[in-house]
This record gives sequence, C-alpha cells and structure tokens, in this order.
Amino acid sequence: MAVPGNNNRMVTITINKNQYLAEEGEIFLLTAIRHNIDIPHLCYEKALEPYGACRLCMVDVVTCGKTEMTPACTIRVHNGLEILTDTPQIIKHRNLLFELYLAEAPKSEVIKEMAAKYGVTKTRFLKKIVHDDPLQGKCILCGLCVRVCEEIMGNSAISFINRGPYTVINTPFYEHNPDCAGCAACARVCPTRAIVCEDIGESRVMHSWSETTVALVTCPECGKSFAPQRLMEKVLTKLEPGLIEKIKNLCPECRRKYFTRKEIHKIPLTDREP
Amino acid sequence: MIIRSQADLESIRKRGLTKIQPNHPRIGIGVSSCGIAVGGMALYHRMQEIIQNNSHDILVVKSGCIGYCKEEPLVSVYIPGKSQILLHKVSIDDAERIISLACKGDIPQDLALCRIPDWDHITGNLVYGDGFESVPDYGEIPFFSHQKKVILRDCGLINPEDIDEYIGIGGYFAAFKALTSIPPDTIIEEVKKSGLRGRGGAGFPAGLKWEITKKAPGSEKFIVCNADEGDPGAYMNRNEMESDPHMLLEGMLIGAYGMDVHEGLIYIRAEYPLAIKRLTLALDQARAYGLLGKNILNSGFDFDIQIATGAGAFVCGESTALVASIEGKTGRPRLRPPRLTEKGVFGRPTDLNNVETWCNVPVIIGKGAAWYSAIGTKGNTGTKVFSLVGKVDNVGMVEVPLGTSLQTIIYDIGNGGALGKGVKAVQTGGPSGGCIPQRLFDTPVDFENLNKVGTMMGSGGLVVMDEDTNMVDIARYFINFASSESCGKCVPCREGLKHMLLILNRIIAGKGTQNDIKLLQELSDTVQKTSLCGLGQTAPNPVLTTLKYFIEEYDQLITPEGR
Ligand SMILES: Cc1cc2nc3c(=O)[nH]c(=O)nc-3n(C[C@H](O)[C@H](O)[C@H](O)COP(=O)(O)O)c2cc1C
Ligand code: SF4
Ligand code: FES
Repeated sequence: MAVPGNNNRMVTITINKNQYLAEEGEIFLLTAIRHNIDIPHLCYEKALEPYGACRLCMVDVVTCGKTEMTPACTIRVHNGLEILTDTPQIIKHRNLLFELYLAEAPKSEVIKEMAAKYGVTKTRFLKKIVHDDPLQGKCILCGLCVRVCEEIMGNSAISFINRGPYTVINTPFYEHNPDCAGCAACARVCPTRAIVCEDIGESRVMHSWSETTVALVTCPECGKSFAPQRLMEKVLTKLEPGLIEKIKNLCPECRRKYFTRKEIHKIPLTDREP
Repeated sequence: MIIRSQADLESIRKRGLTKIQPNHPRIGIGVSSCGIAVGGMALYHRMQEIIQNNSHDILVVKSGCIGYCKEEPLVSVYIPGKSQILLHKVSIDDAERIISLACKGDIPQDLALCRIPDWDHITGNLVYGDGFESVPDYGEIPFFSHQKKVILRDCGLINPEDIDEYIGIGGYFAAFKALTSIPPDTIIEEVKKSGLRGRGGAGFPAGLKWEITKKAPGSEKFIVCNADEGDPGAYMNRNEMESDPHMLLEGMLIGAYGMDVHEGLIYIRAEYPLAIKRLTLALDQARAYGLLGKNILNSGFDFDIQIATGAGAFVCGESTALVASIEGKTGRPRLRPPRLTEKGVFGRPTDLNNVETWCNVPVIIGKGAAWYSAIGTKGNTGTKVFSLVGKVDNVGMVEVPLGTSLQTIIYDIGNGGALGKGVKAVQTGGPSGGCIPQRLFDTPVDFENLNKVGTMMGSGGLVVMDEDTNMVDIARYFINFASSESCGKCVPCREGLKHMLLILNRIIAGKGTQNDIKLLQELSDTVQKTSLCGLGQTAPNPVLTTLKYFIEEYDQLITPEGR
C-alpha cells in the first residue's frame, strides 16, 4: 500500500471541479479528508485493508464524461482522477442510507449526530427494538472490531454470527473466549462506541463479548491493575534490550515517576524549592 | 488402461459404442434427480432384479434426463437395428412387461412417447435404425421439436456413470485433438472467435477471461467451475452434471490446456449429492484412462480436478464469496478489484466459469468456432439451457439457440399454462431477475434484450406464473429469499432488503399506503445502486419489474384510506 509521506509522486486530481495536488496511490478518502472535503464514512481505518461495507462514502468517479458511483475508501489516487462528492444522486442515496442506519442503531448518538449533520433527523423505517443487546443498539456492523482483532491483534476472538439481517458480532457460541487478550482495540476502533468493557479489580470484563474476563497485571510499585496480562506478556517480548529491568513491570504512571525522580536527583540540592 | 494414442481412444470408442448399441436389447432408466423423485431408482432396481432372476440377455443401465421432466420416469428401449424408443411415466409395475416385450424385440406401445431413429451427439452421429413407425418421431413432439441440443447433446441417452459411453459417442476426441495438435493460444483464439459468453449470468466473453487469466503474472493458477446454482427454480447445472459429467471435465481439461493451468476445482453445493457422486466417479474414471493426471494423452500436459463442496449459500455463487468459501472462510464477498483473474483462490490468478460455459468448450473445439457461432444471434452465439418451471404445462429442461423468443419457449415448447390456465408473466434470472409480462413475450432471450426489459439472463431459471398468481406475492417471495441469503456485510442489502420485505408484508396484509409504494421504489433504487456485490445490486429487480408492469396489483392492495 502506498503510504502518504513516503515520497510518492504528486499528481493533480479534480474534486468537485476544483484541482488539488495529491499523492499517487493514496486512498482517495484520506486525500479528501486532508483537503477538508467532507465525506461521511464509518468503516474505513487507515491501518486496515479497505472494506467498503458502510457505503456512506460513495462518490461519483467521472471517466470520459460518464459517472460511476464508488466508495471513496476504495479509490486509489491517480493523475487526472475526477471526483464529484455531492451530486443530487449521491445525496439522495446517502440520506436513505442514513435513514437505514437510524433504524438499525436507534441508540447511537454518533449516528444521530452524523445523520443530522447531513440533514437527516428522522427515519421512515421501523426502528430495531433494542432488548438485551450486548452492543446497546449501537452496532452498525462496520466490522472494524472484527477486523482489528484479526488483522492487527491476530486474535480473532470475535466474529460475525449469522448472516443477512440477523448478523451480529460476538464470541463463538456467545461464550467467554480465551482467545481474547482484553486489549480493547475493538472498543477503541468502534465508530459508534457500542462496545462495553470495564476494569473491575484485577480483571478486565468485556461486557459486550459474552462477559469475557481477562486478568490484569498489577504494578509492583503502586499496586494498581493496569494492563491485560496476555497483552503485557506479548509486549515484553518485543521490548528493546537494555531497557532498565527495574521499570519493566511498572505501570505507566510509576514509570513516569521513576524517571522524574531520577531527573530530580541529578539537580543540585541548592536549586530545589524549599 | 492409460490412453496414449488415437488408436487407444478409438478402441475405447468401439467398446463404448457396443455398450450403447449392443447386439441385444438395452434399457436405460432416467435416474437423474427428477427421475429418482418419481420412482426411477426403484424401477431401475426392479428391472435389474428381473433380468438377473431370469438371466435375460438384456442390458439395463442408468441414464440421465433428456429434459422432459414432466414425463419422468423416462425409459429408453433399444432393440438392435431398430429406432430407440422413449417410454414415459413408467411405473414399477410396468417393469416386467417392458422386459418381456424387449426380449421379443417389441415395446409397450401404450407407454411410448416417441422414437429416435438417429441422434446427433455433435461429437458423433448415432444411427439406431427404423421400425415402430406407429410411434411418433422425436421431431414430432412439440416439446422437443423447437429445441436445439448442443449442451444437452448426450443427456438421457448415455450412461453418465460410464466413461466408455461418453467416449463411444465421440467424447474426449476434442480434448485429444487439442492436446496433441493445437497450440494453447489457438484454443483461446477459437473460444474467442466462437463468441461464447459466460453462462453464469453476466455473459462475460469466456475466451477473453481465459486470455486475461493466462496473461496474469504467476505460474501457479487455478481454473474453477461454478456449480453453486442457488437460484430458486434453476436446476440446469445439476442436470448437466448428473446426466453428462464428462462433458464438463473435458471442457475444463481443454480450458486448462489453453490457459496452461494445472489445477482445477469444481465448487458445488452440498445439496447436490448425486451430482457430486457422479462427478467423483467420472473423475476416477478419467484418471484411470490418463485423461487427468500427469502427461495427459502423452502430451506432456498435467492437470487434475478436485471437488470443493459448499454449504449451499446463494451468495457463495458470487465470485469473491465463492473463493472465500473454497479457502475455508465465511462466504462473504469482498471488494473488486482485484478480480479473480488477478487474485483468486489462495491469492492466485483464477479463471471462474459456470458449468454450462465449460460444457460448450468440447463442441467448440471439436466442430470449430464457425460452426458454433452460426447458432444463435450475433453477439449471443450458441444455445442456452433453461429450466422451465412454475405454472407451465411442460415442465422440464429446455435448450434453445440464444435469441429464441419467450413465446416459443413458453407456448411452443412449454404448451402454455398448466391445467389450461392463462400465463400472466415469466420470471427470468431468479432472485436477480425480473417478471416479464405476457405482452412482452416476443422478447428474444439473450443477454441484452432481457436487460432491456428490466430483468436478466441469470443462470437460466424460467419460472412461469399464471393468472392466479399474485405478483406482489411473487415480489415478496424473491425479496424474502434475497434478504435471508444476504451475507449481511453492507447496509443497503442487509437493512434495505429487510425493510423492503417489511413494507411488502404490510402491503399484502392490506395495511399499505401509497407512501409505502413510493418508499419501496426509493429503497429499490438505493439498494440497487449502492450495494457491494451482485446480490444486493440485482435483488430489487423483482420489485422494480412488478412495480413497472403490474402496478395495478399493488394498487388493489392499498386500502382506500391509504390512497
Ligand atoms: C449472488 C450471486 C450468485 C451467483 N450465483 C452463481 C451461480 O450459482 N452459478 C454461476 O455460475 N454463477 C453465479 N454467479 C455469477 C458468478 O459470480 C460469475 O459471474 C460466474 O460464475 C462467471 O462464470 P461465467 O463467466 O462462465 O458466467 C452469481 C453471482 C452473484 C452476484
Ligand atoms: S450486497 Fe448483500 S450479499 Fe453482497 S456484500 Fe452486500 S450484504 Fe453481502
Ligand atoms: S468508509 Fe467507504 S464504504 Fe465505509
């Protein structure tokens, strides 16, 4: 994948009849964001492969006078690329998709705000009845959590269950899943903040993922639980050699304190405040 | 025995011919799924029992389906030197009578449907003989007379479980010719010249796809046969595999040679156990003759085929979902590009073609592109097999040149509505297609003309609806199907189809309003234009076409308050 800033060739593209400089090979959605051209999107994340499922980022690609609707997150920039982001067609379909989202995730404030920004405040569709939903009626099935868990963390602890309108995301058989490292990358990447997890004592409980519970490590200095054990073990194998043994197991806060104290001790006593 | 030369192949051909036309009577029982469903297998076993107990000098073999499914179980009787006779609607109680008459060189006249004095297998011609003049000739039966059999050339006439019979009527000779005397690029040229378009629905030129696959970088590639066939009402591919599995294998062998690919896969739904069984047997038999494996026909070319079974999800017929399924992942489509020809099964360049696309290849190579392209119309060459089902009198497999009108298929071949009822519409292309009203039945059936009237070819299901059919209900049926078969990845298809179904339910329950119809129209448009894969993009077609051609049926369901 071409990464911006990696000396890619600069090319000229046209967005809504205006010309811009852009990096060849870059995902067009990122180019547009950089130039403050507004395109709504829910399922794209730079660190992951384009997925193209939320369909909100649809734009018109103009080739030889003909337009073709394509998700902006799947277009690679090339010289002469011409894009329209706000045609009446695009707006019409986008608004209807927002209505579908409002019905699918009726409890999501993020969706409500996003839709409202584009003038959609009501849905004509029957809203999903939210009852005992581990994702609080906020999931829009963009798949970011599933993908980050698989592609980045390598855990595949959660996955899609069922298909079509019955699709949900959870652990296999809705059971506590030992493959979950408790990293909560899923919660962090979720665009609608649907995933619930909580640190209780020395454990982290992934409420949304069938209450999967993982042990946290405790800081030998302050006694606070701060990171999932499995994640910590993984991180420790990747540490640069030479890192001070003493601080390896400390929580971030105690680590900071350690360094501060060290710095302070370097300063002559006379300069200290009384 | 490994076939190494033309002489080897010829000797098997002779042996095969003596199985099809032995010097004693031969009885073939139609035991495809359609025949079995109405007692074909029981009949077969009963006949075997009788000839064994009485040590009759009669051969009783399995055969495929000749297409007239309505008349199953169909039984063919060959008395040496005489016309082959097709018996129809044979019951187990007729077994004894058929055999004892056959021993005397006769047939039960009351069960006779037609006689076949000779048959053009295209790969070879078979002359059976004269006699039984009181029985109508094959060409006099309207169901058959308007058809042209190219793909179904052997179906129902040979034993699908015996490779010798396939070779007997000239099978594998095209492969022999190709592998021993035609340069691979010429094969691709020939397929391009034939004008063959993919029979899986989209009509992409097959030769072009082969060329792209061949040119794709990489030495390890795949060719794949799409035998997922998930449209309700479609069973052409099943019948082709059950009745004549070797034509598929031969087509794939020739294609593999043309593209220089050494691994083939047949992706077939697990709901087709008989087709899987016959294909497995056919693969074993082909390997035993050296028609698959290393150094095929002493040409130095290696190729083999494996079967991959799917769990029968409609969406797994979509190319990228199919690949995911083969790789052991969930069958969900992915973004294209990259196309399969670039990045297919396990990331390797892959050519995917429908069963029927492959089945055309042996005759194209055997008879030449010019012969093939003379069938059908310009841009739509060759024939297409349709499964003619629903409220039509003659239910069955129908093969006609592309460009044949719906009128011919439904009235001349299908004999109009079942039980004498009037035909109202026909649905082509399954859930991806649309309903064509009777007044447009002069539409020629080809890829472009079907698109023009708002539907599509699909894989070839033709579901006939009669005057009693409610078209709103039909639309609901297909949306329900598409919605429950949606993979759930993208929102227009997952949520949009669900709400279309809810609206249709409301209308049918008599609670709909004009606004609902408007919303249905709007949703159809967005689902069609914004869905990720072909399933969602085509799923609204049944609604759009019924709204276009049968809007009065929707209006009738709207309550007065809702108007
Ligand atoms: C939802 C969906 C289902 C499909 N099902 C089938 C199928 O059952 N069989 C088939 O051959 N093609 C099917 N296709 C078309 C294939 O994706 C592909 O175009 C075809 O197999 C290519 O072969 P061809 O070029 O020989 O037609 C389907 C497409 C979609 C979108
Ligand atoms: S259109 Fe339907 S089947 Fe295709 S990817 Fe989207 S949800 Fe899945
Ligand atoms: S961000 Fe492009 S389809 Fe979701």
